[in-house]
Amino acid sequence: MPTITYIQPDGAELTLDASPETSVMRAAVNAGVPGIVGECGGQAMCATCHVYVSPNSLEGLPEINDEEDEMLECTSAPRDPERSRLGCQISCGPRASLVVEVPAGQV
Amino acid sequence: MTAAEAETTAPTAEWVRIEDLYENPYPIYRRLREESPVAWVPAVGRYLVTSFEACHRIEQDAETFSANEEGSLMKRSMGHSMLRKDDPDHQTDRAAYGPVLRPKAIKETWTAAFEKNAEKYLEEFRAKGPGADLHLGFAAPFAAENLREIMGFRNAAQEDLQRWSQTMIDGTGNYADDPEVWAKAAASSAEVDAAIDELVPVLKAEPDASLLSAVVNAGMPIEAIRANMKMTIGGGLNEPRDVLGTAVWALLSHSDQLAQVLAEPALWATAFEEAVRWVAPIGMYPRQTTREVEIGGATLPAGARLGVVLGAANRDPEQFENPEAFDINREKKPHLAFGGGAHFCAGTWVARTSVAQVALPKLFAGLPGLRLTDRPAREGGWVFRGMLELPVAWN
Ligand code: HEM
Ligand code: FES
Repeated sequence: MPTITYIQPDGAELTLDASPETSVMRAAVNAGVPGIVGECGGQAMCATCHVYVSPNSLEGLPEINDEEDEMLECTSAPRDPERSRLGCQISCGPRASLVVEVPAGQV
Repeated sequence: MTAAEAETTAPTAEWVRIEDLYENPYPIYRRLREESPVAWVPAVGRYLVTSFEACHRIEQDAETFSANEEGSLMKRSMGHSMLRKDDPDHQTDRAAYGPVLRPKAIKETWTAAFEKNAEKYLEEFRAKGPGADLHLGFAAPFAAENLREIMGFRNAAQEDLQRWSQTMIDGTGNYADDPEVWAKAAASSAEVDAAIDELVPVLKAEPDASLLSAVVNAGMPIEAIRANMKMTIGGGLNEPRDVLGTAVWALLSHSDQLAQVLAEPALWATAFEEAVRWVAPIGMYPRQTTREVEIGGATLPAGARLGVVLGAANRDPEQFENPEAFDINREKKPHLAFGGGAHFCAGTWVARTSVAQVALPKLFAGLPGLRLTDRPAREGGWVFRGMLELPVAWN
């Protein structure tokens, strides 16, 4: 099974097994990963699942659509032009692993 | 004793009375949360869920906790809207709302309307002179006119939306089965149907940016259009009105925090968020269990009717330190005022923009020396809670 690694602002890391379709948000919420809230349940409506994707994990992710783009303008922590994504809009897909950093604040 | 009561291990809270909830629910919530965060409350005919953790779990597990409640008074008052459907039916309706209530449309289309409306009703309010009631004199028409424009009711006035909203909400809460309440709700419902029928062909021929145009052109069936528009009238007016009043009242009662906000405009958003946490405008919403389930230390049977008490979850000391206080400087934590999961409020960004970005800064700038008066402000309600009267003075 592919894995998703969450790096906290203090450097602490947690790696979870996640099926290829399970979103970065859903896997985190199910496991209680701190700093990923996912209040809207994955509808790209709340911006509380914001993550910074690790540079090595960026390639091959789906394009940012309009809904994700406008919501990334509403995040609590600043948007990074390359690395910011909504955790509910990305998953491992065909890759073996995905590494994301959790921002310091979601609300 | 009902069947639901017979099979549960949840304690019964006989001592809870509706009048007391209406007056001030917070001491009741505290006692319920401490004694049992899931308790059968005979006065309201529901299990009330009062801890943050249990409310949050319910929001995230729609398979066990259905929004499609049997015998729902909301369905009777407004028809079967997305708010009382589960996925995938819910998702079909919600998708038809499209981008209308989302941040990009708000920025490009609606913010200008919010600004125009804030100025218009501020002007009218100022003309009333010091001592006027900010709740009825500003918050209500401002919220109603914003909603009228967003929804696209060009053939109605904001006063119509206020009447429709209140009478249909009263129907939703008509547990006493008062025929007069039903008659008023039915009359409003018929007026909304007529307004929609008149606009459907117009918007088909010439679509615009409004919500009604979006659902009409997404091909939503007319019954669903009617129900969803009524639900949105009921859910999109009183809440921004009430949080606006609560925020003004809280800031005027805490001059140190008001000074902080006036010195740093980014804090309007913080003050708004703290106001919706402190007094959740939707204090309680219903769910029904689809199976036997253990929650909050109790076992509930299938078919149990629950009240998810956001007003209590938002003051749970397990989640918020010193939760009863209004404090813009508290540690930032997620609250549940906008609900969560599939039914997470579709109007969240409309409310944040219209109230925190537009109305609050304009009010305090346009009414210098804004302050409370000798006539005390009054608040009330528990299912919906907000100001009833907010007399203010200015220089
Ligand atoms: C501070 C203001 C507001 C608060 C606190 C609020 C709160 C809520 C809550 C708690 C729910 C979920 C109820 C449930 O799950 O049963 C909800 C749903 C909803 N709200 Fe709001 N609301 C606000 C403003 C608005 C506005 C301004 C609009 C419209 C322009 C709106 C439209 C809706 C709609 C359409 C739903 C149904 C969503 C669904 O079922 O998927 N709300 N709101
Ligand atoms: S979970 Fe709400 S935007 Fe991702």
